[in-house]
Order: sequence, then C-alpha cells, then structure tokens
Amino acid sequence: MFKRILIANRGEIALRIIRTAREMGIECVAVYSDADAGALHTRMAHVAVPLGGSAPGESYLVMDKVLAAAKATGAEAIHPGYGFLSENAVFAEKVKAAGLAWIGPPSQAITSMGDKIISRREMEKAGVPAVPGLTDPVDDAAAAVKAAEAIGYPIAIKAAAGGGGKGIRVVREPEGMESAFRTASGEAQSAFGDGRLYLERYLDSPRHIEVQVLFDTHGNGVHLFERECSVQRRHQKLLEECPSPTIDEATRQAMGEVALRAAHHVNYEGAGTVEFLWSAGEFFFLEMNTRLQVEHPITEMTTGVDLVREQIRVAAGEELGYTQDDLAQTGHSIEVRINAEDSYGGFLPSTGVCRNLRAPGGPWVRLDSAMYDGLEVGLSYDPMLAKLIVWGQDRDQAIARMERAIAETNVGGVKTGLPAALAVLGHPRFRSGDYDTHFLESLTLEPPAEYDELVAAAAVLYRRKRNERSAMSPDAADRSGWSERSRRDSSAYAKRRLERGGAR
Amino acid sequence: MKYTVEVAGRTHEVELIEGSAGPSILVNGKPFDLGYREIDRHGQVVCQLDGNSYALSVEGDGHRTRVTLAGHDYHLEIEDERERAANLAARAASRGGGPVKAVMPGVVVELLVEPGAEVTEGQPLLILEAMKMQNEIGAPGPARVSAVHVNAGQAVAAGDPLVTLEAIEDGSDPTGA
Repeated sequence: MFKRILIANRGEIALRIIRTAREMGIECVAVYSDADAGALHTRMAHVAVPLGGSAPGESYLVMDKVLAAAKATGAEAIHPGYGFLSENAVFAEKVKAAGLAWIGPPSQAITSMGDKIISRREMEKAGVPAVPGLTDPVDDAAAAVKAAEAIGYPIAIKAAAGGGGKGIRVVREPEGMESAFRTASGEAQSAFGDGRLYLERYLDSPRHIEVQVLFDTHGNGVHLFERECSVQRRHQKLLEECPSPTIDEATRQAMGEVALRAAHHVNYEGAGTVEFLWSAGEFFFLEMNTRLQVEHPITEMTTGVDLVREQIRVAAGEELGYTQDDLAQTGHSIEVRINAEDSYGGFLPSTGVCRNLRAPGGPWVRLDSAMYDGLEVGLSYDPMLAKLIVWGQDRDQAIARMERAIAETNVGGVKTGLPAALAVLGHPRFRSGDYDTHFLESLTLEPPAEYDELVAAAAVLYRRKRNERSAMSPDAADRSGWSERSRRDSSAYAKRRLERGGAR
Repeated sequence: MKYTVEVAGRTHEVELIEGSAGPSILVNGKPFDLGYREIDRHGQVVCQLDGNSYALSVEGDGHRTRVTLAGHDYHLEIEDERERAANLAARAASRGGGPVKAVMPGVVVELLVEPGAEVTEGQPLLILEAMKMQNEIGAPGPARVSAVHVNAGQAVAAGDPLVTLEAIEDGSDPTGA
C-alpha cells in the first residue's frame, strides 16, 4: 500500500479523500492555489504545496506544477478527485510516465468515454442501447436543422467534449436552432476549448439514473447499484437518492449488467459511473464518467463500501476480494448539494463570505463540507460548498431525516440551494417518487408565507438594535455623510481630529 | 415608527411603539407578542412566538436584510415612512427604460446590439458567462439602445450597468394608473 499520496483537487472532495487516506494510514499531500491558502484541505493534509495563481488555469489545472509537487514530496500516487484533471487522459499518462500510480482508470478508457461521439460508437459496438441521434458532429446550424428532421424533435444539442451539463441546449422547433447552436457552441468552446456539437433526440419525461461500477486490475468488476439523479436544473444535479423509486428489481439488475458491459468494453479499472436516461420503461446509455462522482456517498451509505478506499486499493494493485453476490443495497440514502446559488433567483450564482455557519448532526447524518467561517465564495471555482447526506431504513425515513437536517443547517453570507431542496422534499410529486428531470425547473420557488410576519418583525427589531448600537458607538459621527465630505474636503477635519486626540 | 417590509414580494407593515419596557409591536395592524433575543453580534437570534421557539440568523444593513430560518431563506426590503416616500418618488421617475444591470458577476462573451438599435421584449442584448454557463440577457421590454457600457471579454460585477435602454411607447399609460 502507498505511504503517501497527492490529492490534485480542492474543496469537499479533497477533504473526502484525505479522510479515507488517513484512516488507511496513508499520508496526504494537498496542493493549493493562492486563494485556497487557508482552505480546509490545505489545513487538513499532512503536507500542503502551494501551486500559486488563483484561477484553475493557473493552479489546479497546471499538470507540471501538480507533478512537481508530487515529486518534491515523495508522493507515490495521485488522486484527481472529480472535475479539474480527473478526466484528462494526458494527465493520467503523465502521472504514469513520472513513475507514479494514477488513482483512476486507464487513459485509454478516459479517452474513449470522455468524447461523447467516440463513446457512442464504442457503446454501439458493445451492444449498449443509446438515444437516437447522430454519432458525428454537425458543422453549423443549417446542417443541424437538416439532421434534426431525420432524428425527430425535440432535439438536444450537446458538446462533443462536454460534461456536467455545460454546452447542452434543447431545441423544440427548427426556428430555435440558430440561437441555441450559437450559445451551445460558445459555451463548449469556452468550457472545453472544443466547440464541436452533436445532436440527439431529447426524451420527454426522462429520468437520470446512473450505475456505480468498480473494477480491479485483475479482471474483476462489480456494480454497486443505481443512483437516481433526476432532480436537476439546467442539467446540474441538486438532490440524489438511492435506490431509485422508479425502477423495479429486474430493471435494476439489467441496468447493472449493461453498465458492467459498457465499462468492461473499455477495459475499465477503478471506480466509474455509467449514466442512463430512463423513459417509459426503456433505458439508454447517456455517458460514462470515468472518475469518482459527486454523489458517490449515497452509494456508500446504502452498500457500506467506501469507494475512495476501493479506488486506492485498486490503484495499489489489490484485488476487489468480493463478488456481485456479496453486495446488497440496504435502506435509503439522499444527498443534497449545498451550492452557492439563489434558490429564488433562477439558481444564479451567489458570491460572498460564509458566516453564521451551523452544521447539522445526529444519527445517520453526514456532512461533507469545505465551508468555514470566513470562506470567500467567488467565481473562480465550482459553486458546490458542501454535501449533506442522510441514511434511513426506508425512503420516508430518509426524507424526514433530510428535512430535519436541513432545518438544523444555517449558511449565512451566501445564498444556497437548500431552500429549493426543502421545496423538493416536501412536494407531493417527489413524495410519490413520480418525478423526472424537468421536475425541479417546473417548480415555482418562493419562501413559505407562514413565517412572513415573524421574519418581518424580527428584521425590524434587528434594524432597531443595529441602529441603537451604531448610535452609541464612539465612531458614529465619523460614519455620517457630512463627516465623509469634511474628511475629503476640509482641512478643518484634520485639525479637529488632532484636537480630539489624534488618530485611532 | 412604521415600517414597510417586503418579504419575497409580499408586503407587510410593522409598527414599533416605543414604551418604557421596550417597543411593543404591531404587524399588519395587529398586536404581535414577539420575544426577541440576540445571541451574538453576528446575527444569531432566538425568537419566541405563541409558545414556539425559532432560531433565526439575520444579516444585512437594515434596509436589505436576509433572514434564514429552519432552512428557509427570506430576503427583505425594509423602509421606514420617510424612506418609503423617497423611494416611491424615485421609482415613479425612472419608469420605463433605464439601465440593464448584471444580476450576477461574470464575463461579457458577446455583444448582440449597438447603440441606436431598437429591440423587442426578450430580444437578446448580450451573452454573459457566469459559472461557465452562457446566459442570454434579454431586453425587459420594447426599447431603443441608448448606450452600451461594456465590451466583449470584459468582467463585470453584480449590479454593473451593461446596456442603457430608452423605453419605446407601447401605447399604455406611462403613469401606470
């Protein structure tokens, strides 16, 4: 087993990996940008190496800096987390060329699955069903309109190099193609440096259900069942649950087998996720994420398997040591992502400084968080601050537990998606289990009116107290408008200050 | 003192009547027996109402205030009588047109209009990229572009003016009566 590994990431996922590595007796090397010098992952690692810069392009995405940090600290392996370099085949190759172990799949598997067009072709060969569409990119909007006739509307325009929902646009009629094509192409270009787009049928009322797989380097592979990820907006997930309330046991087994076939076809190693769209009893291959997934904890909660531990064991050459028959789903788990975003303002990003944090606790509640009091939330990094995960014996218990845990949680200074998650959890459609990927966007979100009078009265009392305090403060006169002016304009101000006893 | 409090677009009136034992409170004209205690100077507050206890977190400058409570998030605008009169006058004066401001920090990817252009409601004015998502910023109503304040590639902060529009009369009564 490794003695020391480097974690090429930040935020909650870097902490997540550090936690398991510490439990395994492995030392952790963190890397950090200038902006993250005080971040929790920097503080909780055994060794922390500055990368300089703040934007990802100057720090976490610079392969040579990360490799140099590994070399300088004697790390034997690199865990890329998710995002950043995790699905970068070139980086995976460089890590191996530097004589280090890569805690991830072979670069060939990343390449095959990372490009949606190549992955579609490969999955066709493996007999894995895909959504009707083109396997070749289209050149322009006019060509897209023509191709769309054959596939049938509605059409989804997707970035060939895409992921995380970026660069995806839905077009319901030919008139909308040009505008959608332009923005999707621009988004793909800026997010991935590759503006190529392809088309496929857009399924109405689809559900996003994915299967976790795990392969060792000795030819053994298992799936760890599904995760239901249909609560999304603009293809960004907000809440995930496991097991899916939609699929039956036969579909669960079939999906698991297809996922294993898909992964096996690209000689997969380590942990990965095969995403499916489920619609009216059929399921189609969507893509494979060749990394640890954000929502992996709900699989951990229902299977008892620590996926990061398994990733590290596999990278160290160990065998899984168990088979499909040894695995079972127990109980129900839900995850809510705590993103810095405005639940009531179209989920627009929110920036600020985290204050007044109160973490939830109690039985079967897990908080994977990178938040601390004073954390500056800017635009350079992913808006996900934390993940709240609960487990219950059944779905009703898990929902009640999540509602309870959210009610305990407080995040000040930035807006979060938690109010939206509460609205989802309390909604009859979510309760019934009968929801699809459009469910979240269909909700009209606003804070419940029942607390209006309470918060209005409390806010007015807060204002009164605040005004009282500042009126009593010795600096009060300096803050009023006229003294601002006199400070700028009048030498008399300086004189008065001297008379009053000089500078503070 | 009377305060007008907007809670998520819903208007409530809060009146504080100062007395020797602290203020008594009327909400929407009815007595409101609220226990209020600040736990710290950072906005942690506990309230008692009708025998129930509520843990609130309050932040803001007293005008725009945010209250979080049991996972819910309230954004309030508080005006006392004097502020309300001033703000009503300002709102009446700027009806129609005015600046289109960035609602979030981001980078201008592409400008789609030039000064002098006439735009229809919803017509994209520019594309703003934030959090790696591209967002079309549309015209709020039929208007003429009187100024463009940004260039492609420029970073903007939330609240920065992007484009100034001059409303085009659509035949409705501009006083909004």
